[in-house]
Amino acid sequence: MLSSFSSFYEKARNKEIVAGLSLISIAVILNLVFGYFAMIFALYLSFFKWDYIGEMQFVGLKNFEIVIKDLIRGLHGAPYLLSPFYTGLKNILIYTAIVVPVQTFLAIVLAAFANQKIKGQQFFKVSYFLPATTSSVIVALIFIWLFMKNGFINFALAHVVPGFQPIDWINSREYLLLAIAMVAIWGTSGHFMVSFLAAMQAIPKEIYEAAMLDGAGPIRRFFFITIPMLRPMIVYVVVMGLIGALQMFDLAWVMAGANGGPGGAGYTVALDIYNEAFTRIRPGVAAAKSWFLFAIIFTTTYLFQKKYGRAMR
Amino acid sequence: MKKVLFGGLLIFALLFAVVASGCIGGQTQTPTVETKTETQIKTETKVETQIQEKVFIRFAGWSAGETEMKNYERMINEFEQKNPTIGVKYEVITQMFHENILASFGAGVAPDVFYVDSSWAPIFIDKGALYPISDLADQSFIDKFYPFLLEPFKKNGKLYGLPKDWSMLALFYNKKLFEQAGLTKPPETWEELEEYAKIIADKTGKPGLAIYLGGFNRYVPVAVSNGAPKPWFEKPEDASWFDNPVVKETLAWYINLYKKGKIEREQQGLTPYVVQPGDVGAGWLGDAFGHQEVAMVISGNWMIPFLADQFPDFKYGEDWDIAPVPAGKKGRVTMAYTVILGINAKSEHPQEAWKFVEFLLGPEGQKELVVKAGHTLPSMKGFENDPDMWPQHKKTLSFKYDDMIVFLWGPKSGPLESKFSDAMAAAMRGEMTIDEAIDVMKQVVQEELSS
Repeated sequence: MLSSFSSFYEKARNKEIVAGLSLISIAVILNLVFGYFAMIFALYLSFFKWDYIGEMQFVGLKNFEIVIKDLIRGLHGAPYLLSPFYTGLKNILIYTAIVVPVQTFLAIVLAAFANQKIKGQQFFKVSYFLPATTSSVIVALIFIWLFMKNGFINFALAHVVPGFQPIDWINSREYLLLAIAMVAIWGTSGHFMVSFLAAMQAIPKEIYEAAMLDGAGPIRRFFFITIPMLRPMIVYVVVMGLIGALQMFDLAWVMAGANGGPGGAGYTVALDIYNEAFTRIRPGVAAAKSWFLFAIIFTTTYLFQKKYGRAMR
Repeated sequence: MKKVLFGGLLIFALLFAVVASGCIGGQTQTPTVETKTETQIKTETKVETQIQEKVFIRFAGWSAGETEMKNYERMINEFEQKNPTIGVKYEVITQMFHENILASFGAGVAPDVFYVDSSWAPIFIDKGALYPISDLADQSFIDKFYPFLLEPFKKNGKLYGLPKDWSMLALFYNKKLFEQAGLTKPPETWEELEEYAKIIADKTGKPGLAIYLGGFNRYVPVAVSNGAPKPWFEKPEDASWFDNPVVKETLAWYINLYKKGKIEREQQGLTPYVVQPGDVGAGWLGDAFGHQEVAMVISGNWMIPFLADQFPDFKYGEDWDIAPVPAGKKGRVTMAYTVILGINAKSEHPQEAWKFVEFLLGPEGQKELVVKAGHTLPSMKGFENDPDMWPQHKKTLSFKYDDMIVFLWGPKSGPLESKFSDAMAAAMRGEMTIDEAIDVMKQVVQEELSS
């Protein structure tokens, strides 16, 4: 048996096929089961009414109707308890608009620093990247302490900003989302820094040397060489950032709670999908909402890629 | 040779992928049949009929800590020794318990016996997920339980679960702060509660009372003790509960406790007499009370082991005491919180599952798991004077109430409770008026219950 297998295996083409298939099979099987099957099942589910226990009941587009009604009601100014999806969507768009540009910018700046030939740069690289290795739940829990009314952040701000009044970040409608955004920026900038650092180190030295001969200073070199050369990486980071930010769940779950905290200020679409599926026991509506979220993520990233991604290829 | 080895390695990788995805994809089912060796049966031909196949049942619960888990494991061992034909697999789900159970129903791998919190029970009962206990249990066994604890789990004359234990709300007060304020006894009525809180704040500089922002279930005793009907929301029209004048009046009083007691007092530059735990740097009521940051809280029996454990120097009897929940114009009412043990309607072994439930909930089980553990109150009558019962718990059981409301507002209890609480919290913080909050709560009822 083994010998017949090995003679089959001896043939070079077969060898490659077997090796290739076996090596990718783990990833492919996991992806099929947890990725594509889940996705297709969600689409199927979005046309049904179900309570997990009984039989599924076909309801057509009713679940999507519920989502659209929610959006319309929200646009007409209904309180957040009556338009949860709209509230989540509004919050997550604001959150994304804050987080993605800031984290991308910060990651480039950090990478530029880490790319300098200064003493102890290894230490800086490690410390920038450290947040990315920490579980987001633990990060959020630590930041809850830092953000408390008599916590460190207020304490520090009071010493830096004259006349600063302590803010109750976590329990305030105005500041909760901002606090979550700050934690996200802190947690992800280091991660993307590594991407930028790799891209920066791939930029040929000759370009810099040529620019130096032409008399370009460090700032001009940064804006006219580094940034344009980083462009494909910037597109990648922004796209990944968009995807991550639009489906943010963990930070909001810990910092704002399942109901989104005071006035629903920290409510996100992902939280709403969760609540729909498991508190209101409407997995069909939850599936419909996740398809809405998917559509939003898909169009934004597609448009962004199309506009900025292609020019470099 | 090397190539053969490599080929073998690849086969192994493939196999691993298949096995791994199988393991993660579906929970492995426990074998339900334990094969007995043939020789055993042959040698004991006479008792052949007595040798039964061993049946395994799965029991899922959450955990209130390691001691509780160990207690359960001990009881399960004892049960297995008494019933050698039944094996019990204990599964602890620490987070999002009911969501997990629902998902396991969806996947068809739900456990045979599981906890169900009262607020989740209607979902499980309505959907036919629970086996009617009344078909399995003797009436005499059921009669041993406190009847008001069984009421919410009945439907069409059948009982769908028996409570494993319960807790009720009581007033916890700090004796030292009361003394400093010149108060000699705990408040008797809701008006006195507010009045005392004010006196304590003025005399001691510490807030008199801590409540949760929101917290609909903590407000309900105020409404019902003043003559409102028990809240029950089954259809959209039930939103009219909020139109009841008593509800409107008491809800306004409750929301104003915080508005007047905290926000307005601080605007006047005075010590607030009502706070929420976060205002005094505490995580929850028990924390605020244990740190002696507030003089009074209304909380449940779960606070008793917490105080004993976390604040050993803050002593029951000397430093703090328990009193009944204040009375309203129409009597004294408290809330009861309970968890039942449900049997899966689709279980293949309901009889065996019932045997196990009967063992855990019977006098022996309750004595070990509830009375001695000291976390909650036994759901069975007759332990009121048990020497193993903690004195604090005993005291709460001695209070006389005109009514006990089990935490349950109808089929959508969970979402309703959290949304009502959100609306109340918004009104307490002054983000909307009380009338607006009531309006939102009514719309929430209509929204949640119109299908």
